[in-house]
Amino acid sequence: MTTPLVSMHGLSRAFVSSKGMFGESRTMRAVDDVTLGLPAGKVTGVVGESGCGKSTLARLALRLIEATSGSVSFDGVELGGLGPAEMRQIRRRMQMVFQDPYSSLDPRYTIADSLLEPFAIQGLMPVGATRKERVAELLDMVGLAQSTASNFPHQLSGGQRQRVGIARALALKPQFVVLDEPTASLDVSIQAQIIELLERFQQQFGLTYLFISHDLSLVRYFCNQIVVMYLGRIVEVMAAPDARPQHPYSRALLESTFAPDPAKRRIVQPLGGEIPSPFALPPGCAFAARCANVSERCRRERPALADTDAGGRVACHHPNR
Amino acid sequence: MALLSVSDISVSIGRLTPLDRIAFSIDPGEIVGVVGESGSGKSLTAMAVMGLLPLIGGKISGGSVHFAEFELTTLTEARYRALRGRRVALISQNPMTSLDPVRRVGEQIDQVSMMHLGLGKVEARARSVEMMQQLRIPEAKIVHGNYPHQLSGGMKQRIVIAMALVANPELIIADEPTTALDVTIQAQIIQIMTEMARARNVALMLITHDMGVVAQACDRVVVLYAGRVAEMNTVDAIFADPKHPYTKSLIGCIPVEGLPPGGLKGIAGNVPGVLNYPKGCRFHPRCTRAIARCGDEVPLLRASGAGTVACHLAEVSA
Repeated sequence: MTTPLVSMHGLSRAFVSSKGMFGESRTMRAVDDVTLGLPAGKVTGVVGESGCGKSTLARLALRLIEATSGSVSFDGVELGGLGPAEMRQIRRRMQMVFQDPYSSLDPRYTIADSLLEPFAIQGLMPVGATRKERVAELLDMVGLAQSTASNFPHQLSGGQRQRVGIARALALKPQFVVLDEPTASLDVSIQAQIIELLERFQQQFGLTYLFISHDLSLVRYFCNQIVVMYLGRIVEVMAAPDARPQHPYSRALLESTFAPDPAKRRIVQPLGGEIPSPFALPPGCAFAARCANVSERCRRERPALADTDAGGRVACHHPNR
Repeated sequence: MALLSVSDISVSIGRLTPLDRIAFSIDPGEIVGVVGESGSGKSLTAMAVMGLLPLIGGKISGGSVHFAEFELTTLTEARYRALRGRRVALISQNPMTSLDPVRRVGEQIDQVSMMHLGLGKVEARARSVEMMQQLRIPEAKIVHGNYPHQLSGGMKQRIVIAMALVANPELIIADEPTTALDVTIQAQIIQIMTEMARARNVALMLITHDMGVVAQACDRVVVLYAGRVAEMNTVDAIFADPKHPYTKSLIGCIPVEGLPPGGLKGIAGNVPGVLNYPKGCRFHPRCTRAIARCGDEVPLLRASGAGTVACHLAEVSA
């Protein structure tokens, strides 16, 4: 494995919810003690269902939100210790593509304005004719017509808007890009187009991606390393996309994904129980109440992430070997 | 004998004709998938069958819809109302559009059997609880007294399914019933819906954009594109040997086990809007195999093996 470009150590983020004037405030740990390295030039996928903390992790990785505890370092530089000016400097090298390109593009900006915004923020605004050239290059790169430059976001389709989102993220030639469910709101046909594009840039520029998704089959296709999260914690890291999942939750995720092939129809073994409230996590393993392999120990003692023979890590007392 | 047969219906809204001669049928106990990208006309087809087009200012401008002993296109609203919920039920994508937020979920299920089956309060309640248990809702008696906001998305969708099933309908139209749910919950709901349809011999029209769900659940598939039927066949034939380039491309958009890097191929362009439907085959601008004829002449739906396909190329190769 290559050296990580981004390293997270014991990273946690808690959110406090106030219950009104007289209620008690409650705390949930959206991300809880995450230690993870993102190898340079590789794609790391994070999967999990709603509320597992994957989007919070994405924001922590870029220090878009502050960690409650733990640290993130980028190319050897500890992000938490940087002042605003230094942070802005380093942000040039790390970018994000959001799920909903409609809310991440200013509705009153033309597409050209949106594409130039990163340059303006970084004080790198091209002057004169190069400004138009930059926009033209970026549009061309993501396969949008030149006429798009003068359009407003509402005039574009979801897929076209996401192309703008990608062009904007890549405008400053970053090394690290966080992709937060970039295709979740798109049709499959458009999703595949966007993935094609992201794949090409990853190869072409040797980018390091952190790809957040709820779709395990997409992650298995697109990523080199797969991280499975459940209620804020990493439950498994698979070192290869085709590795056999060992954590019962990862297996349940895999079994819940239907292949587009009637020959692979299956009887789904339904996961029992409900996802516990993130405000009141059980003392042991958070998945215990829904797990088929559960034992008394699981309810008492939280399993630590331990190395597996397959080169991954799994947090389970009774993994499926 | 088909329970529902939709014969060449066209739907118009004002001067626009978003649906053009849609035809398919569903037998009792059969699960038919209706697939296509957003804007292909899936939901509009469902609304046409449910007689809900007036709500959006639309109407069926041609063709006929037969359901059991009824011709639906000429049915009065009063008689339609007696069918909806009783013999034909709808499950929508977002359970909150079907649930009243200020009433207990159990009462909302009770109401269906009180209204349509004439049951009394006590009997209706017993029936609801039994239905909820069959849908594997844990502690059904307690959940019966809960409000929608107290339940998770998957649980709310089960309540909606219970409402749909409780009057023993012959046909259920499910419009993207699992799209808003997490994958593990989606898998459970699809499992429950297919089991219930088979066990009760209910015909299920399953609208989805997810080819994985289609492969898992359906017997037959109708592929829609830009308001027309592109292809129709048994689920096995659709996946083993798709005849329409659109069907083939849709299947190719889904990452499968062992697909090499770069193997995932999208479909260039977008589904055209109703104002911009192209001449000839509506898919031809996005089709990698289009020939000159595709831009001029509308391909008709023709029999091909066990199914039907509307493509000039399929005709040439057949």
